Amino acid sequence: MSLIVSSSPHLKSKLTTPYLMRQVIVGLVPVVIASIVFFNYRAILLISICTLTCVFTEEIIFKIRKKRQSQRDFSAFLTGLLLALILPPLTSWYAAVLGSVFAIAIVKHIFGGLGSNIFNPALMARAFLMAAYPKMLTSFCKPLSYDVISQATPLALRKFNFIITPIYKLFIGNVSGSLGETSALAILIGGIYILVRKIADWRIPLSLLLTVTGISSIFYFVNPNNGSVFFHLFSGGLLLGAFFMATDPVTTPVTKIGRYIFGIGCGILIMVIRYFSGLPEGVMYAILFMNMCTPLINRYTSPLPFGVNRR
Amino acid sequence: MVKVEEYKLPQHNISSEKFFQPTRLYLPLAQHTGKPSQPLVRKGDYVEEAQLIASQDGLISTCLHSPSKGRVVDIDEFNHPVLKRAKAIIIECDNQPKNYSLRKDIDSLSKLELLDIIKKSGIVGMGGAAFPTYVKLLPPKSIDTLIINGCECEPYLASDYRLMVEKLEGIFKGIEIIYKILEPKTIFFCIEDNKPEAIKKLNLLINTKKFKLPFISLRVLKTFYPQGGEKQLIYSVTKRRVPSSKLPFDVGCLVHNVATCFAIYEAVYWDKPLIERLVSFVGDALVSPKNLWIKIGTSLKELKEKGIINFKFEPKKIICGGPMMGIALESLDYPVLKGSGGFLFLSKEVDLKEELPCIRCARCVDACPMGLLPLEYAKRVKAGDYDKLQEFNIKDCIECGCCAYICPSNIPLVHYIKIGKRYVTNS
Repeated sequence: MSLIVSSSPHLKSKLTTPYLMRQVIVGLVPVVIASIVFFNYRAILLISICTLTCVFTEEIIFKIRKKRQSQRDFSAFLTGLLLALILPPLTSWYAAVLGSVFAIAIVKHIFGGLGSNIFNPALMARAFLMAAYPKMLTSFCKPLSYDVISQATPLALRKFNFIITPIYKLFIGNVSGSLGETSALAILIGGIYILVRKIADWRIPLSLLLTVTGISSIFYFVNPNNGSVFFHLFSGGLLLGAFFMATDPVTTPVTKIGRYIFGIGCGILIMVIRYFSGLPEGVMYAILFMNMCTPLINRYTSPLPFGVNRR
Repeated sequence: MVKVEEYKLPQHNISSEKFFQPTRLYLPLAQHTGKPSQPLVRKGDYVEEAQLIASQDGLISTCLHSPSKGRVVDIDEFNHPVLKRAKAIIIECDNQPKNYSLRKDIDSLSKLELLDIIKKSGIVGMGGAAFPTYVKLLPPKSIDTLIINGCECEPYLASDYRLMVEKLEGIFKGIEIIYKILEPKTIFFCIEDNKPEAIKKLNLLINTKKFKLPFISLRVLKTFYPQGGEKQLIYSVTKRRVPSSKLPFDVGCLVHNVATCFAIYEAVYWDKPLIERLVSFVGDALVSPKNLWIKIGTSLKELKEKGIINFKFEPKKIICGGPMMGIALESLDYPVLKGSGGFLFLSKEVDLKEELPCIRCARCVDACPMGLLPLEYAKRVKAGDYDKLQEFNIKDCIECGCCAYICPSNIPLVHYIKIGKRYVTNS
């Protein structure tokens, strides 16, 4: 009789990292469907390019780093998918490839691979493309159209033309914007799915959305031209960011209080950028900035052990 | 805190059996927390059942009695689940059962007399830690709350449950004795809501008011792991937090396991020292799970050879204790100790899955009942950065296993924590 001797516990929950990644991908299915409905072949093309490039890049890096991993964790696929969903529909293939390689090789693996990166790879790649191709990343086309007619996003319309897009259009997603961020409905379905299945923690999305609600209602009260609460909640990348970017476990705090702080910080920064900067939208930079603060937040919110009182 | 898969059936519904005819008994001198007992017998001596064979050594220690009539064949090193190898008295048994008679003058016994009986019966905490019971019954501060622990939160195990179903009156007589010694203001009998039959019996018994326990109340707790942990249980019931590195009496509480109460009853009423106990033999490798009354010192090998436990599949892992905190054994050559509530035989490969990178999902942080950051320990131990461990309060870890249970990346967190703790203790 040969017996295994190992440390307790000898029981293991069925939860696995690849399962968590797959569930997030399942949560993104409604968003992918919405992007295909509104942007057609452009969505399919960009999603395929980004996911394939990300997975391929990771394979090469595993070869170079001589890392053998018998279990595929789907994290590269997820990064590719998220990147595609935050790119404008008119992004050219070479920019998408470059962004994907950057996300996996530089943002993720230079820092040590899965679990060790400081910044959200998809968001960082978009920030990189924003610097590399500013024109391309700020030109948006009309949804449900095969023509390349550029149209400003609802947030840009508010900021520069003082036009408020109707809420129902934002809710359905029949507006211009990045592939996956136009339809609030689709994101809510997917986002609530991952929260209910306990794949992502609810603290960050909740505190982020409540902060945005609070700030935007004050500003709306002062001047209705600032846009209503629902306008701010449903426009731009806010919902996608709140449910799928700010909940990335790797780049967000591990403590419970820390997660509230992270969400509130993101919410404040988003609204500051939307109201007071030269940019119409600030979700990306807000989350990236808070990613940077994560180690600090962890440090100062480290929980007290059971039975220890704060002096 | 986590909700774990319970695996309590069918052993919950299997009545206890007796196996009192072992041929050889292996009785380690260290079956309790504290200093090992000192042997009083020599090789070749003939001993009676319940005869004192090893004495208490020092303040925190206890004595040991022969579970059976027989001859001492050796005093030598033998396998020990915790210490790996330890000195044990080995007895070749005669198997003539002894008759115990009921003590007449129980009500007239004073506190000190009761304590003395408990001390001389070698009773230890039977929930697992095996801390000498009489030491616990002499707290340096006064106790206002006595908590009886019937939670048995470890999955698979059913021995405490069967004891509550079958021997509840004995347990209550034991509680009466503890009540007489400590005179607490309140007594809470705690049980988890996954033990319906025991709850029914408890309610009935408490309502009859047969026992002289004026302030006893039943607390049915929602099942979660590790509810049966002393500090967790005290918090669940009284909302008092036992400070780090302090003991329950510092907050006026005392916790005793149901099996310990029953042992106290047997010692006081029947003058029977702790020489046998109820043990669960469970797991998917067995033909059928069993709850056995068994002599302390019986080896698993003998149980197997005599066909008391039968394997359906070859076990891949044998665990002394429950699956969450139990110790994996190297062979069947291990004895049943005073503190062993069960043995688990698993045939499926339960762990040794590939360790994936930590994604910092913080499920371990959410699960930790002690409010620690388990992921930090794994990271630091792997990096050899031992100095930081103390800063993260590694010594507060109770090794309950919640973190490693929940970890989606299969990181053996408890394994790393044990390494880290050893380093911190040694430096």
